[in-house]
Amino acid sequence: MKTFTKLAMAGALSLGLAAPVFAEGIYTPNLSYRTGPFAATGIPLMNGQADYMAMLNARDGGIGGVPIDFDECETGYSTEKGVECYERTKAQAVVTQPWSTGITLQVLPKTNTDNIPILAPGYGFSPMANGKVFQWAFNPPASYWDAASMIMQYIAGGDMGSLSGKKIVLLHLDHPFGKEPIPVLEAMAAEYGFELVPIPVGLKEMQNQSAQWLQIRRERPDNVVMWGWGAMNAGAITEAVKTKYPMDQFIGVWWAGHDEDLKQVGADGKGYKSISWSMPQPDAPVMADIKTHVVDAGLSQQEDLNSVFYQRGLVISMILAEGIKAAQDNFGKGEINAEELRWGLENLDISAERLEELGMTGMVPPFKTSCSDHTGHSGGWMLEWDGEKFVQASDLLMADAAFIAPLEEEKSAEYAEANAPWPMNEACE
Amino acid sequence: MLYRTAGQFKTSYRTDQALFPIRQDAFLLGVILICAWVVFPLTASEFTFQTLLTPILIYSLAALGLNILTGFAGQLSLGTGAFMGVGAYACYKMVTLMPWLNPVVAILLSGVFSAGVGVMFGIPSLRIKGFYLAIATLAAQFFLVWLFEKWAWLYNYNASGAIQVPNLDIFGLYVAGPQASSMTQYYVVLTIVSLLTYLAINLTRGNLGRTWKATRDMDIAAELIGINLMRSKLTAFAVSSYIVGVAGALFVFMWRGAAEPNLFDIPLSFRVLFIAIIGGLGSILGNYLGAILIVGLPVVLNTVPRALGIEVESALLEHLNIMIVGSLIIFFLIIEPHGLNALWRLIREKLIIWPFPH
Repeated sequence: MKTFTKLAMAGALSLGLAAPVFAEGIYTPNLSYRTGPFAATGIPLMNGQADYMAMLNARDGGIGGVPIDFDECETGYSTEKGVECYERTKAQAVVTQPWSTGITLQVLPKTNTDNIPILAPGYGFSPMANGKVFQWAFNPPASYWDAASMIMQYIAGGDMGSLSGKKIVLLHLDHPFGKEPIPVLEAMAAEYGFELVPIPVGLKEMQNQSAQWLQIRRERPDNVVMWGWGAMNAGAITEAVKTKYPMDQFIGVWWAGHDEDLKQVGADGKGYKSISWSMPQPDAPVMADIKTHVVDAGLSQQEDLNSVFYQRGLVISMILAEGIKAAQDNFGKGEINAEELRWGLENLDISAERLEELGMTGMVPPFKTSCSDHTGHSGGWMLEWDGEKFVQASDLLMADAAFIAPLEEEKSAEYAEANAPWPMNEACE
Repeated sequence: MLYRTAGQFKTSYRTDQALFPIRQDAFLLGVILICAWVVFPLTASEFTFQTLLTPILIYSLAALGLNILTGFAGQLSLGTGAFMGVGAYACYKMVTLMPWLNPVVAILLSGVFSAGVGVMFGIPSLRIKGFYLAIATLAAQFFLVWLFEKWAWLYNYNASGAIQVPNLDIFGLYVAGPQASSMTQYYVVLTIVSLLTYLAINLTRGNLGRTWKATRDMDIAAELIGINLMRSKLTAFAVSSYIVGVAGALFVFMWRGAAEPNLFDIPLSFRVLFIAIIGGLGSILGNYLGAILIVGLPVVLNTVPRALGIEVESALLEHLNIMIVGSLIIFFLIIEPHGLNALWRLIREKLIIWPFPH
């Protein structure tokens, strides 16, 4: 009995003291997933994000003289934990970085009442690009629909008419994330006359995709486009190698371009491609700074500094840092709040000159956000696995904005209607 | 001393059969109810509502539903998650097809659909028992989740395949959707959970509950004393699935706000089953204790290091959390294999005879 009383007392005490203790500076939490089924892909990204902020703190003393309190809240990619983390951090945080399409969908409607920006670089709900409807959500520099458009352009080789009569398989995770590109690909199939065959991979079948690849063999598609994540990518790539599917016809989205997945097959994976809005630049000046200030100081957990995902993590934190900086410059103060950061993220201008200043030339294409465009639509490069690492395989590809914009408009309007009353940002033109 | 029953005389059958024959029990329940209805809502923060109060109540209700089937009627089920899904999707379809419908009515009606589905999958229980029945309910689990994924009408042909809760109001007060405040949602959940718990207590004490218990303890003997097994088992499936379905609708409408099909997959079924087992099969109180342990404790543990000012890495904390909760489950099951409810009963018994243990 005594132990129970003690336990109860300890519990009550910890509840009473639950008021969190925060370090100084701008609080930018990250809903990380270093545990769970997707940890292998999450860790390098989280390391990249953390290291960039650590580098800024060590080199410049933060942003505009204010240190960045970068903190992680572990979700294990579970939506339930994600919402717990969101609720835990939202009072002090200037931003929420949900890190999964499921968590994004969950917190998206809440941001309007909580007034806190969501930063979901390269993921989430593609119509979030429409800043007029989604005032608080940002998915720079490119959305999934951009990715679909860029991949199709690459397959077509610049001439969309050549797609006519082709058969394209979309191998996708059967999950909101995997279903994202379907509306835009369907519209393109109708427009350009190719046949789209979506093949879903259930969450339980990620590691054993023999049925799906049997179907692919039967269908004999001209190309396989993959919307995969976590264990699904390694499963698909090994299965493709096993069934001797020509690797140069196999293209993945940016989350399907993880070095570790391809190292498993090594030279057999040669020719596999992945569209990407980020590219590793081992010689970029920023990498030297990361090395001196973070890695050599023993603050980093990352081993391979040149992997695609690690450097993408750096770019993601750079986008956030630039948003903070833009807000600081505009409002003329260091300690900005969530509302001011929203303005900053809406007025990002990552020009080629700015990238040069940051020492990140070539790591991400230049882009610009605005009140009505929360994505920036930077475009991206096709990366190709050469047997050891990813190398650039194309010039900068740009998404077909004229094709995507009406769809974004339509789907965001649908969303707003389903969630009525939904506040619109009438300030945008 | 605190629990002395001396002097509490029962002079009629009615008082002997009352819900709380011992005055202290009623008093204790009163304190808990005042806490739940007045003290918590006045003191809780948004975080507490969203991560502790509301989810614990919803999970308790789901476990209560399962407990009626597994604990009282002895029919093992692994399909709870899917039945919760039926409730959630039914509620979603109802509020989108009939936007004028009162959301609380919609939630209570959605249980009817899951009860129907539950009875359908309960029919095999007339012939198969024990582990074999568990496998049959597992089939329901897989089939229904597959259906949620493939039947696009269920999620209104939404491109992402997920359901999103629209803003719903009762007389101008938002109760569901992003505009609703946590406190309103908590009160809706608390009302429904209190109501269904009260019904469940009386059902299990009454005629129906006794036929369930007889079926559970030995079905042949039950049949011999004139219990209709078919009726007993199917009513258990119906009542249980109704409660589980309502819990599912609350789960999505009053708490999550959005749901994708795989949310209702087998991990959810296991989670609810664990709550029921750790709380104690065949008990009502146990569901609440189990939910506090499995749903509430990890959240509380996560805040401990920060509250004490210790810097722990978030991923490490998560690992520690899993280890601590896991070992606590083992610890509680070792000291009392019949669950937390039995542990409480033991403590209460000791308190009653204290300070003179025989």
